[in-house]
Amino acid sequence: MMAVSCLTRALRSLTVSQPALLSAQAVTQTKLGTVVPCTGGQCRGFLTTASLDQNRTRWKQTEKYTIKPIGMKKTGGRDHSGKIRTHGIGGGHKQKYRMIDFQRLHYESDREPKPFEEKVVEVRYDPCRSADIALVAGGNRKRWIIATENMQTGDIIKTSGVIGRMAVSANEGDAYPLGALPVGTLVNNLEIQPGKGSEYIRAAGTSGVLLRKVNGTAIVQLPSKQQVQVLETCVVTVGRVSNIDHNKRIIGKAGRNRWLGIRPSSGLWQRKGGWAGRKIKPLPPMKNYVNLPSISNNTT
Amino acid sequence: MFTGMPHWLRMAAPSFSPTVFLKNLGRMSTQARRHFAVSRCLTAKAPPARRPRERVEIPGFEMVTYGERMHYVPGLAKPVYPQWERDYKDPRHYKTPPAHQMPLYKEKPCYVYNQRTSALEGVRQALWLTKAKLISGLPPRLLSLAESPANQIPDQDERVQNAIKHARFWDTTEDRPCKEKYSNTLLSNLLHLCATLQSRHPAIGRRILAEKYSLATTWKRGEDLFQVRGQNGLLYNCMDPLPEVSGKQEVGDTADHVLKSFYPVSPSIDLQKVHVYKEEVNCSGFREGYPYPHAHTLYFQEEGDINCKLRPKQFRAKMVMFAFGNALARAHSLYGTQPQSVLGRPITVQAVGTNGRLFQFLVFQLNTTDLSGDNGIKNQVWLDEDVELYDYAKLRPLIKKKQVKVPAGLAGYKPETFRKFLALYLHGAV
Repeated sequence: MMAVSCLTRALRSLTVSQPALLSAQAVTQTKLGTVVPCTGGQCRGFLTTASLDQNRTRWKQTEKYTIKPIGMKKTGGRDHSGKIRTHGIGGGHKQKYRMIDFQRLHYESDREPKPFEEKVVEVRYDPCRSADIALVAGGNRKRWIIATENMQTGDIIKTSGVIGRMAVSANEGDAYPLGALPVGTLVNNLEIQPGKGSEYIRAAGTSGVLLRKVNGTAIVQLPSKQQVQVLETCVVTVGRVSNIDHNKRIIGKAGRNRWLGIRPSSGLWQRKGGWAGRKIKPLPPMKNYVNLPSISNNTT
Repeated sequence: MFTGMPHWLRMAAPSFSPTVFLKNLGRMSTQARRHFAVSRCLTAKAPPARRPRERVEIPGFEMVTYGERMHYVPGLAKPVYPQWERDYKDPRHYKTPPAHQMPLYKEKPCYVYNQRTSALEGVRQALWLTKAKLISGLPPRLLSLAESPANQIPDQDERVQNAIKHARFWDTTEDRPCKEKYSNTLLSNLLHLCATLQSRHPAIGRRILAEKYSLATTWKRGEDLFQVRGQNGLLYNCMDPLPEVSGKQEVGDTADHVLKSFYPVSPSIDLQKVHVYKEEVNCSGFREGYPYPHAHTLYFQEEGDINCKLRPKQFRAKMVMFAFGNALARAHSLYGTQPQSVLGRPITVQAVGTNGRLFQFLVFQLNTTDLSGDNGIKNQVWLDEDVELYDYAKLRPLIKKKQVKVPAGLAGYKPETFRKFLALYLHGAV
């Protein structure tokens, strides 16, 4: 289709207009060195750059938040230069991207920053991640968030940024700063910088544990048993991420992995080395995210 | 795909000398390939955004640019030219100013309900916006109108079934008509059937059917400003106003009704929030001296707009909002735009929605135009939802386990649905 349109455009430039439009070099050679001023678009072959912009996928570059599913193109593991960045990706069912608002404590632009409540409108499957997602509505806006284990349509979930003197008794799905929660709570969607949006514990069925709170910071155990220390103003969601049976599903055949966009590994025989076999490693030391510069709230 | 190209070029450009042309072709084929490759989407992943280069302005120093040389020179700065503006008006290159520079820009937002709005909470939200009390089922007066045999069409059931069969089976040369088509045909067939009663009730002749009228009304609810705008549905206009459905006593009783709220969702969710709008817009879609000023019935089709499909809840909300909008536009032109707590004569507007099988009947009575507070007299809505005209209209029988579950043709015709349709049509004429 594209090639046909290119050819027609080439023909148009050859026949309708002057032969000067063929290419800059052609013109200079036919007229033996006379300088012909030509505008930038026409010098470069046949195509103008107008169509190039449409072909770019901006699905992740869009600034404005929308709950509409956005069409994606398959990368096949290639980066912007066309080189393979990640092996083993290709094909699979077409997917649409739904923007998830990871910054749970994201106040509406025309409301004062107070704790607010939202209603769950829909809980559904998301092709882009293992966990389920929930559409929540509150005030004048709707947004997608990552659903917790027992979230259902019609639930009211609360989001608060206040750290009181007493620890709150939080329901599942509510979001609080780590400092407001009692020690031992199961949490997910952990922020490592206050106001940045959650980055840890987002996969299906995972949860972390709030281990202890030390003057202004909180220590959380990740699903990998590693411990991270973050500021106590980091917002987390209480409970466990939805789709807990994600690890129990049966792929069944090689073709189903292809449906998911996963390609087989190379198949080259390699001798087992040090990576195989049982290893006993000590736990890595606690990661510290406390002294990072903080991002102001409501940036997005 | 590209092999045919040189042939094309040779045919298309015979004016070149052959040697030059061949040279060009060699160069061009490489170039062309590159550009064709770029023209298709080469990578699905966009490159990271380039950071714009910082321009350092040192006061007192003038930057040496290559502007005078008229070509790029390494080491010299890129010239900055002022934005060129054409001194003539070209409508093709018109650029709209930013919203806050438009003359109609206002600080206070206005929430617009148009024909494509899909309100999240459905009828509940529409009831809050119109400050109305919902009564399920049609009013008894209309029901008695439907039951009386004096208002029936001769051979009514047979003719209605023929109308349905025409819409579902006979209206197309293809296997089956699409939903948009048959719902439209069915509606016009039924309206045509109703109009045959004109000889018995001459008041039906004092009406006219209007299509593509555009409505605009403004009201204040709570602190916010709301508007209903848009083109919607078929409208039956009448020379005489519809009689009110409920008496003064019932209207007074609505003051005790408490509107349902749906916290934490705001009532203006999903409505279009605009800052550029006319403040006191009030237009029923017709000019001042129009001889048929009273809206009688609005007919909506669920599949009317291809670009926007509403779910049943949202469709009913749209019916409520547009019936209310028509009534409010009439009330504003009769009683002025100042809110009045009780209208001297309530304004009634009916609405019928259909998807070709299910019908929604709605009667809206506007009792008050003072909508800002939650107290006082409320408006009234009678809503009869999801009334089936027939069960199945199948081209082929539905067979399961070698048994015919549903026979081919029209099955399960319900005559009372058309009686309701006729009652709404005859309301005001009998």
